[in-house]
Amino acid sequence: MIDEIGGFALILGLVLSLTQVVLSGAARVRRSAVLAGAGEGAALAAFLGVAIAFAALMHAFVVSDFSVANVAANSHTEKPLLYRVAGTWGSHEGSMLLWCLALTGFGAAVAMLGRGLPAGLKAVTVATQGLLGTVFLAYTVFASNPFVRLLDPPVEGRSLNPLLQDPALAVHPPFLYSGYVGLSVVFSLAAAALVEGRVDAAWARWVRPWALAGWSLLTIGITLGAFWAYYELGWGGWWFWDPVENASFMPWLIATALLHSAVVTEKRGALSGWTVFLAMAAFTFSMLGAFLVRSGVLTSVHAFAVDPTRGVLLLIILGVTAGSGFLLFAWRAPSLAPGGLFAPVSRESALVLNNILLAAATATVLLGTLYPLIREALTGESISVGPPYFNLTFTPLMTALILLVPAGPLLSWKRADAQGVAQRLGLAALIAVGAGLAAYAMVSPRKAFACAGIALGVWLIGGTLSELAERSRAFAGDWAETRRRLTGLPRGAWGMTLAHIGLGVFVLGACVETGWKVEAAETLSLGGHLKLGAYELTLEKVQGVDGPNYDAERATLHAVRNGREICTPRPERRFYPAGGQTTSEVAICTRGANHLYVVLGERREAAGAKAPVWLVRAYWNPWALFIFIGPVIMALGGFISLSDRRLRLGVGKRAARPA
Amino acid sequence: MIALWVAAGVLAAATAGLVLHRAARAAANVGTTDPTLDVYRRQLTEIDDLADRGLIGEAERGAARAEASRRLLTAADATAQPWSHDAGERRPVLIAAGLAPVLALGLYLWVGSPGLPDDSFKHRLSQWRAADLQTLPPAALAAVMRQVATERPKDPDAWRYLALAESAAENTSASGRALRHAITLAPGRADLWELLGQSLVVEGGGAPSPEADNAFREALKRDPTSIAARFHLARSRVMSGDKAGGLAAWTALLADLPANDPRRPALQQAIVEARSETSAVAAAPPGGQIDMIRGMVAGLAERLKTQPDDPEGWVRLVRSYAVLGESAKRDATLAQARKRFAGQAAIQAELDAAAKTEPMK
Repeated sequence: MIDEIGGFALILGLVLSLTQVVLSGAARVRRSAVLAGAGEGAALAAFLGVAIAFAALMHAFVVSDFSVANVAANSHTEKPLLYRVAGTWGSHEGSMLLWCLALTGFGAAVAMLGRGLPAGLKAVTVATQGLLGTVFLAYTVFASNPFVRLLDPPVEGRSLNPLLQDPALAVHPPFLYSGYVGLSVVFSLAAAALVEGRVDAAWARWVRPWALAGWSLLTIGITLGAFWAYYELGWGGWWFWDPVENASFMPWLIATALLHSAVVTEKRGALSGWTVFLAMAAFTFSMLGAFLVRSGVLTSVHAFAVDPTRGVLLLIILGVTAGSGFLLFAWRAPSLAPGGLFAPVSRESALVLNNILLAAATATVLLGTLYPLIREALTGESISVGPPYFNLTFTPLMTALILLVPAGPLLSWKRADAQGVAQRLGLAALIAVGAGLAAYAMVSPRKAFACAGIALGVWLIGGTLSELAERSRAFAGDWAETRRRLTGLPRGAWGMTLAHIGLGVFVLGACVETGWKVEAAETLSLGGHLKLGAYELTLEKVQGVDGPNYDAERATLHAVRNGREICTPRPERRFYPAGGQTTSEVAICTRGANHLYVVLGERREAAGAKAPVWLVRAYWNPWALFIFIGPVIMALGGFISLSDRRLRLGVGKRAARPA
Repeated sequence: MIALWVAAGVLAAATAGLVLHRAARAAANVGTTDPTLDVYRRQLTEIDDLADRGLIGEAERGAARAEASRRLLTAADATAQPWSHDAGERRPVLIAAGLAPVLALGLYLWVGSPGLPDDSFKHRLSQWRAADLQTLPPAALAAVMRQVATERPKDPDAWRYLALAESAAENTSASGRALRHAITLAPGRADLWELLGQSLVVEGGGAPSPEADNAFREALKRDPTSIAARFHLARSRVMSGDKAGGLAAWTALLADLPANDPRRPALQQAIVEARSETSAVAAAPPGGQIDMIRGMVAGLAERLKTQPDDPEGWVRLVRSYAVLGESAKRDATLAQARKRFAGQAAIQAELDAAAKTEPMK
């Protein structure tokens, strides 16, 4: 019964989303608060329906109900409970249901929390959100239904891809999808603003919390994905410009640009057209990601099963949804009021430059992602665009952006004193250059680019702290005043500071890890040694392990440095009989911010050898921890900004200040 | 079935109630002003707050206040059309709230499977246990035996039966795991070692392996008369090239078997085949072995089509084509694998190394 209630609730969610569109649309046309309220009620009800459907599917996974085709195809009775739960969103159908849950959830959130929005803007936003929900729910019900039943269920399920049976990946999709779909509200608000003909400072303030929420969740989602790729795939890297990685990165870049341009619109009423454009582009890139991952045009460890029919349907959804949005933009944007003027040296100009660089960076990533696909479709020739392309195109743009970041918050609105800002950042610049030169002089082997990266990271952190010190007059010597100023800083300012510092921490980690990573691989028999920089690894033993749903070989190695044992890595190589797949479980020894990363490869019975040998690969990844901590700090900054009462969702009126 | 309709009815009523409730609340909530003015008023207050705390200068305060005030005045001057709170609009709301569940029901009857009950694994397991075990398909029997083994974790026979059931269900890996568990419970039982050896042979596609031989040797230690262990160890010798030794062991085994033992014909057949192979292999062209290898490689290529996320499989396939001297296939497979694992430096290196393997002479 629960399965079928799930199926019914999903369809009810679809019909209620359609009801939401009709009621909210009619509310706007007739200027009826009653119809608008009903539309909001439909948004809440649609979310309730989809949430019940989602819970029913999760129940089917937990109890291993193989009469549900999706469960039979993606679960197994021997799978641990966590991964049975995560199996709910581990397949194409389940992930679409998660997408719809997030979409209707954000629709309900707008209905509940948008009390501070003007009635017309809110009604059109709720209607647009309902339209998006209708389209995606219709796709889910008719082309990707997770509740399709089997009359003759198999005895056992086919299990979830073992690479996905991992704690980080179990929580990665909910964050990622919440981020992707959080940007749908921004899209809906942009469409509503164009319909209403009002993109002004107030609108920018209403957009920012949704953009911040989407951006922060997306940051965590992408970081979890990168962390999973780092320790689960066993290739020693964390980002490889894989098209699916790029698919999640592009909306993030656009959302970052949006957050900055919305500030200009909010404070100065300027860049309104551009901000609306970015708001539409952010969710369009989210939908592009959904299409790329599910259409079968990509071959990736992240991609769902190849299915061109569904891909075409998703492409149609992408084309119609984004196309309608941009047509509306083309029609209405020329009528938007121009904003305030500003000088070439001003905070507005810095933010415009920030936007140009981020947009250009997104364009390079888009080109690098789509060009191989387009070329293959046209010529049949497959090419791969990898790190060399992105290093040459994306990296210079980001370098320019990083150079700009610390200066931005120090510049005044309208017209700024460039010389004054340069003076205030002089110390940070000096420290950054000193750090880069010191690294070049002291660290062997000498890596010029990595040292430049260190300088950039230190510049970002130092410059951001300089701005904080400036605001709090930390160098004036009056600590009571500094403390008062620091505690008086709006949370939005703290959020920005943390986000910029987080970026600096990430840059440090990425540059040092890439520059000074050491790699070694050797086939070892028991007792064999592997030299990795200053470390020596000895393979002590390899033993069989019976996992809950896998068989594994677990190696025990000893890592020694200067005659002293540092740690005992225990990497595994697992075989999952249900899917006939093999995975590597990497062993990571954390030494400060550094990682000693060990992978156990396949066992080989070498010809003529009496004992078996194992391929052991090891990496020394210096400062690798910073790569993942940096984005967490950034996301934390986003959440702290979100808690700023100026942006708080649902804030209607503020109590009058006492005279 | 009735429970389904009751639950669906409750859900439909709850959602319709939400729509009606929000509509009624909106009708009662008369007099909401345009919140835009509040935003600009708050902006003015915030500018003053920041200036009072010394976070922005006086000049900036003045400029920002002037702009925010202009926005406030513009917004105040804008003539916003009022929204109706007329309760008369409730009629279309009622129609929508009533129509939505009906439409959902119609769609559900078209798309859903209303008569189909849930079928949790626990429920199915209890049904299988209640049924005649001999009528169960092997996979279901294995599932039942898995539950029995979990209930009797210290009983080696429960695990032995599980192993047999898993083997019948062609789940050789699970069969081996069950036998290893049984052996940890009763390490002195030769029959378990014997079964483990046989399971490993099956898992290896019929080929002997050091692990299987080791299991048979353990069986023989505990029961020197173990027929299966003696047979397989001799077979291992035959297949590893020691045909004379293996045949001698088989002949001795044949002599020890009673005349009415049903296994005698199979053993005799094996001896005959081994003897004829000895002469046939010497005379046969090497193409036979090559064909066998080609068959295995084709099998691997087929498997990778359905299970492509297997980097080692790709490396093996590239190496196999290289060994067979099929350079076109090697290059095509290499290109395909390189694309699939684009950017994974370690795998790319292994693929390249595999492609450089010298062809078999």
